[in-house]
Amino acid sequence: MRSFFSRLPGYALALGLLSGCAGPQTTALLSAPRADLPRQLELTATPFIAQERYQCGPAALAMSLRAAGFAVDADALVPQVYLPQREGSLQVEMIAAGRRAGALSVTIPPRVDALVAELAAGNPVLVLQNLSLPIAPKWHYAVAIGYDVDRRDIILRSGTTERLVMPISTFEHTWARSGYWGMVTLAPGHLPATAEEDKVVDALVAAEKSSPPGATRKTYALAARRWPDNLTLALGLGNTAYAAGDKAAAAEAYQRASERHPDSGAAANNLAVALMDLGQLKAARAAAEKALALGGPWRDAALDTLASIQRAEKSRKR
Amino acid sequence: MMQSMKKMFVHTMITALVFVGFTQTVQAAIVSTEQVVSATAAQQNRAKISAAFDRADVQVELQKMGVTPEEAKARVAALSDAETASIAHRVDTMPAGGDGLIGGLIFIFVLLLVTDIIGLTKVFPFTKSVRH
Repeated sequence: MRSFFSRLPGYALALGLLSGCAGPQTTALLSAPRADLPRQLELTATPFIAQERYQCGPAALAMSLRAAGFAVDADALVPQVYLPQREGSLQVEMIAAGRRAGALSVTIPPRVDALVAELAAGNPVLVLQNLSLPIAPKWHYAVAIGYDVDRRDIILRSGTTERLVMPISTFEHTWARSGYWGMVTLAPGHLPATAEEDKVVDALVAAEKSSPPGATRKTYALAARRWPDNLTLALGLGNTAYAAGDKAAAAEAYQRASERHPDSGAAANNLAVALMDLGQLKAARAAAEKALALGGPWRDAALDTLASIQRAEKSRKR
Repeated sequence: MMQSMKKMFVHTMITALVFVGFTQTVQAAIVSTEQVVSATAAQQNRAKISAAFDRADVQVELQKMGVTPEEAKARVAALSDAETASIAHRVDTMPAGGDGLIGGLIFIFVLLLVTDIIGLTKVFPFTKSVRH
């Protein structure tokens, strides 16, 4: 009795869902499709990997990564994302495993139109769905690879079905129950079509830690062009160039960062280091002194840099 | 034989010490992108908490407790980055007007947090009270 009443809100919700109306986002998308997007498309080159029992997470992630050109094996991803007790995978681990493979994994904005825009940009979208109702959830990862506005369908690589065609309204209901969670895994040199600035910055900084500098450098360059006022991106571009040994490009990036953000001690300090490595000691000293004057959290770094420059100056005089 | 081995040992030690001396001199280093991100976040959190102390309703409550906003702000400066992040998150959920039952509860929550920091109360385990 008690369990019936405690489930009552769930039943009420179920009745609401069973009425079969299209989700609000789908209705908006179908009534006014964006003119610059094709009315139908399918990323047919996306590989298909049938899932093993319960393991839709590793399979979906492997499909998404392989579509971006990463040679990964679904079995190798299992220990990274699959939790045996839960018989499933957590979203945060899907993101992290994508990064470990070298991809830029970013969640997209929680909207149907964002999903469609990513597909139109050629990026399959890994989505989390609840195929059942909230009272007895059945979580499932799938990869959206296409849509058809006229037939009101979405096309997925899902579970053991290579080409699952689902009414887009049904898809929205199942997707909404995960809070419209979707992510893309992109190869170096690619940015998501829809992702927000802070999400991309977070993903790039995380990718910089776990992949060779050359890989994130290209993506930093693209992102810094899209969001030219972002200090982190400007410094990331310089830092990845520096790590790759391209001191001249690094100095140029730091110079630009320092001009746009004259109050950034980190930009001034890094500029000083790069200039010192290039042997431009006079300019290096000016930058280091500026970093020191700005103080803040990078004061100690600036002091060390200035000391190094002074040593370099002395050894040059000798 | 023994003598020459001793000599060699001493030479090796001297060389090693000299090298240790060299590696201990400070080196210019690049500030990493990750460091910049966490420093920026910490700065924004501190600004957010400071702004909360500037709110008239918070100041009224602080005055009732006999605490000046300046004093409270000085304590915030002494918090670690992780603690600041935790408090800033709670400031985010603070009501704009401060009315209503739930709003009132959150307000008291934040207020206790502030008084915790200043050392008047000790409600939350993560606050570091300041000794007077």
